Amino acid sequence: MASLAALALPLAKVGEVGKDFFHERSSETLSCQANPDKLFCFEWAKDNIDRYGTPTVQHIELVAISILAGFAVAFALALLAHRHHWLRTPLLAGTGALYTVPSVAFFFLLLPLTGRGRDTAIIALSAYTLQIIYRNTMTGLANVPASVKDAGRGMGLTGRQLLWRVELPLATPEIVAGLRIATVSTVALATLAVFAGGGGLGDPIYDHITFTTNIILAGGIAMLMAIAFDLILLGIQRLATPWLRAARGQA
Amino acid sequence: MPSAVRYENATKRYGDSTTAAVDRLNLEVAAGEICVLVGPSGCGKTTAMRLVNRTVELSEGDVLIGGESVRERDPARLRRETGYVIQQIGLFPHRTIAENVATVPQLLGWKKDRIAARTTELLALVGLDPELGGRYPAQLSGGQQQRVGVARALAADPLVMLMDEPFGAIDPINRERLQNEFLRLQAEIGKTVLFVTHDIDEAIKMGDRIAVMREGGRVAQYATPAELLMDPADEFVEDFVGADRALKRLALMRVSDISLWEAPLAHVGQATAEVRAKLRGAEVPYPLLVDSERRPLGWLSERDLAAETVPAQPDSPLGPLLDLDDVMRDALADLLQGEAQYAAVADRSGRIAGVLSVEIISEFLASPAAKTEEHGAVERPHD
Amino acid sequence: MTATLLTHLPVGSIGGAIEFIFQSQSSSVTGGKEVGGLTQTIELALTQLEVTVLAVALSMAIALPIGLYLGHRGVGEALAVALGNAGRAVPELALIAFMAAVIGVGLFNVTIALSILGIPPILTNAFVGIRQVDRASVDAARGVGMTEAEILMKVEMPLAVPTLMTGIRGATIAIVATATIAPLAGVLTLGDYILNRNVYGEDGVLAGAIVVALLALTLEFALAGLQRLLTSRGLRLRPA
Repeated sequence: MASLAALALPLAKVGEVGKDFFHERSSETLSCQANPDKLFCFEWAKDNIDRYGTPTVQHIELVAISILAGFAVAFALALLAHRHHWLRTPLLAGTGALYTVPSVAFFFLLLPLTGRGRDTAIIALSAYTLQIIYRNTMTGLANVPASVKDAGRGMGLTGRQLLWRVELPLATPEIVAGLRIATVSTVALATLAVFAGGGGLGDPIYDHITFTTNIILAGGIAMLMAIAFDLILLGIQRLATPWLRAARGQA
Repeated sequence: MPSAVRYENATKRYGDSTTAAVDRLNLEVAAGEICVLVGPSGCGKTTAMRLVNRTVELSEGDVLIGGESVRERDPARLRRETGYVIQQIGLFPHRTIAENVATVPQLLGWKKDRIAARTTELLALVGLDPELGGRYPAQLSGGQQQRVGVARALAADPLVMLMDEPFGAIDPINRERLQNEFLRLQAEIGKTVLFVTHDIDEAIKMGDRIAVMREGGRVAQYATPAELLMDPADEFVEDFVGADRALKRLALMRVSDISLWEAPLAHVGQATAEVRAKLRGAEVPYPLLVDSERRPLGWLSERDLAAETVPAQPDSPLGPLLDLDDVMRDALADLLQGEAQYAAVADRSGRIAGVLSVEIISEFLASPAAKTEEHGAVERPHD
Repeated sequence: MTATLLTHLPVGSIGGAIEFIFQSQSSSVTGGKEVGGLTQTIELALTQLEVTVLAVALSMAIALPIGLYLGHRGVGEALAVALGNAGRAVPELALIAFMAAVIGVGLFNVTIALSILGIPPILTNAFVGIRQVDRASVDAARGVGMTEAEILMKVEMPLAVPTLMTGIRGATIAIVATATIAPLAGVLTLGDYILNRNVYGEDGVLAGAIVVALLALTLEFALAGLQRLLTSRGLRLRPA
């Protein structure tokens, strides 16, 4: 069975994946690969790091668009559910189902509808983020103290004013926390976008799947990207909540 | 005087329950008065208060503010004209103190400088340093937060103030302070206030008129504090007011209402012979050490007077220091608490005004003057 | 459907996919060899389930003791949280490929690789779950004379079940999803249908996707039910 899979692999690769730049310089990679014990060829990494430029940019694009789209949809759904309570259970279940379906399967389920390419990958990746962003937004809104809402309404804030000026700002930490989790997960998951023909860092990995230096480089870039996004969002969260900083400093 | 708030058969029923939370309430609150709604929990007092700004909607009947029905106003606009102070305070945690106070003016579209000026004015009015305006609620104590709550409610100069157990979540010491300060504030600005509490003592202290309620928001008695204490309408009111009505009368007086005794004063470095001379025939048998500003520092003992000159450190500590504005009941409590026979009373600037003792209080209560004064005690004692 | 038709269709149809699941058909690549059909489908699904269960079990065996212990003692919060965050950042494709290259292919090795994915959520949730147990209950238990182990087992763990199960469910979903690409490391799961279009055809690809999705949803549903079963009535009655 394993040999069959090994045979199937190179055959499956033909014409399926996007930019195929490794094949041009295959002799160089093979010289490093010739040494199977070497986990990481530092010189090769130094010389070839530029090859990861395009996949990295593609990866960032995939993540950014997926997160923005996912956030827009999940946020809108949460606002709807905040107003119309009956939506809560079905939306939670729905976003949960989208989260549960493995992305790779999702790519190919979308195939008849959207074909191969970046769009398919983005749709699947966005769908994956819906649950966490939706759930965290709902939790954040639910955690607004009742007394604050009472005071706000009693002072003459309309429902909409209360939502945008009081409830959502106070829910920001929870919402951004969900966004952080979603972003980190999406960066990791986007390595699978190669199977949808969507590019990203999965491209170089899949192209030379046994070349460990390559895997470490591409995987490493992905992990660093995840951490970087996480820290950026954390910074945004801190900036957006000066009152929490003040309480921490003063207390 | 035209009534500021009038309930006309106001009724609130929840769901399809046959019993009403507020059952055909009829009540008139005069302008500039503090009307206290007091009663056991569940009697409907909070519901009744909320009918005024429509945070609870009327089932039947009407509530009129300045002659206008609340039913005909847009709720949000109506609420911007009524001040609203709640027990849990409910300051917006994500906004600074200044921004909190500015909430309603902003909603009404005031200009920035007008808002800023008003905010500073209000913070000072409620006894807060305007510098605090840039802080966040979490950085303030509970007492400070509720002051901001009151300032916020007053910001747009509302017609009516609704206060729902506003000092309930504050510790007893600060509660007393806040109550006193609110009364002082009220003397200055004279708002129409609907004040809800479950504490009869607070009701007596704060109210110009008190409505004692039973379930269904039914008014058992609507009267001044004095009338309530001396002439309870029925057993329910009597029980609610409490068996210690006599003592409660002390809540209606201030220390300034009574003639205090004089203590012989002594300054640091003064010849003790002089002080001893003053002692003879004085009402208070102990000299009080004061500073150059006549602010009390402590009591001098026999040992202190044995020296040539008055020492800087008196033997006995000052003990409870009372204020002329203190409500008599609180003053008595402080006296008894401090286990002191005599307590120095200071005026607003901290200077000695006299000495109070338990004897003085009981003498005064027993005197014929006290009895006649009580009958006329309708006005809030103000300075 | 004949083999020739398979190579001409750009994408599979649902009807074709369903047929593929149940009826084996000849493939154009391997010289007319039979592919698809219920037997193969079930075999692949079982393999995916098997590797998932093994990996989750391994993750639990490693992560639960550590997480529960740290949570009970109340130390290592920074570690637990950081691990949770880091775990989410691991790129699935790189993980499978790397582990395959380093420790080799095959069921055993893939299980180990997948368990790496499962350890962070289980550990973090075990820690957090124990930490958020009402301190008063723990104090009372200690006061009654329970040993530390008894407190952990009889008080903290039952109360931490919801959070714990959430972590285990999260780990399971992540693992079953990644097990889809386990064929890259020699373990033939349903991903084989998906990754090898030329062998199984477009219908096979779609069939694989459908069955994987169903498998994952069924697992999640089952675990949700299990969580409800394991959550004591007292916890469930609380107004969530």
